[in-house]
Amino acid sequence: MNETASITMQPDVEDLENVFAAVEEFAERAAWPMNLVFQVKLILEEMALNVINYGGVEGAEPIDIVLKTENDIVTIEIKDVGQPFDPIKDAPSPDLSLALEDRPIGGLGLYLVRTMVDEMHYEWHDGHNHLTLITRRLT
Amino acid sequence: MDVTSQRTGGALIVSVEGRVDGANARKFQKAVEGVIDDDRAVILDMENLGYISSAGLRSILLIAKGLQKRKAQFAVCSLQDAIGEVFRIVGFDKIVTIHSSQGDAVAAMGS
Repeated sequence: MNETASITMQPDVEDLENVFAAVEEFAERAAWPMNLVFQVKLILEEMALNVINYGGVEGAEPIDIVLKTENDIVTIEIKDVGQPFDPIKDAPSPDLSLALEDRPIGGLGLYLVRTMVDEMHYEWHDGHNHLTLITRRLT
Repeated sequence: MDVTSQRTGGALIVSVEGRVDGANARKFQKAVEGVIDDDRAVILDMENLGYISSAGLRSILLIAKGLQKRKAQFAVCSLQDAIGEVFRIVGFDKIVTIHSSQGDAVAAMGS
């Protein structure tokens, strides 16, 4: 089954709710299993909030999201005008062996995304970050 | 997101319903910390929690750290499959006690 959806997210955390609603609507159309809906929401939240919190995009143009599902492959494209940021190279992995008292309180979002996708492609051109995430896990 | 609480068998049970995301994680954390008194055992029941992101995990980590500082016990219970997987991915299963049901959690922690 092939479906595509475009979602526009304002660079504001309050717009997350609308993104989730759009994902749910798309998921229903594409007959996604619950776990995949959860994963795609999580991936979008982590990547979008990273742009909103660190990309310096307050009051800037929206974040453009495209979801595509083609047979067993889900592709997520995210385009933003934030600071150039390559989540493949620029994000450190958290140390998961630390005890509770030593665990730092951040750094888990991008790590979660990296574990949930099969492919990540990043490009910076025309003043935008272009991120493409592909997952084949239709479980 | 809704937070409700009750005290059973010596433990404070805090139940969270809905989703905890980047837009409401701080509110969630304040709501949970607001119902914790000088409890010695706190259980976060996640049976009706359908979604959590890293912002919510951060809140749970801060709640756990706060309780550990004053030597109170903390556990979570009844995680939905996808949330259990997230806990395992980020290694929270190594630093937070997870019970499969509220009854198990109370039995393990209550006095």
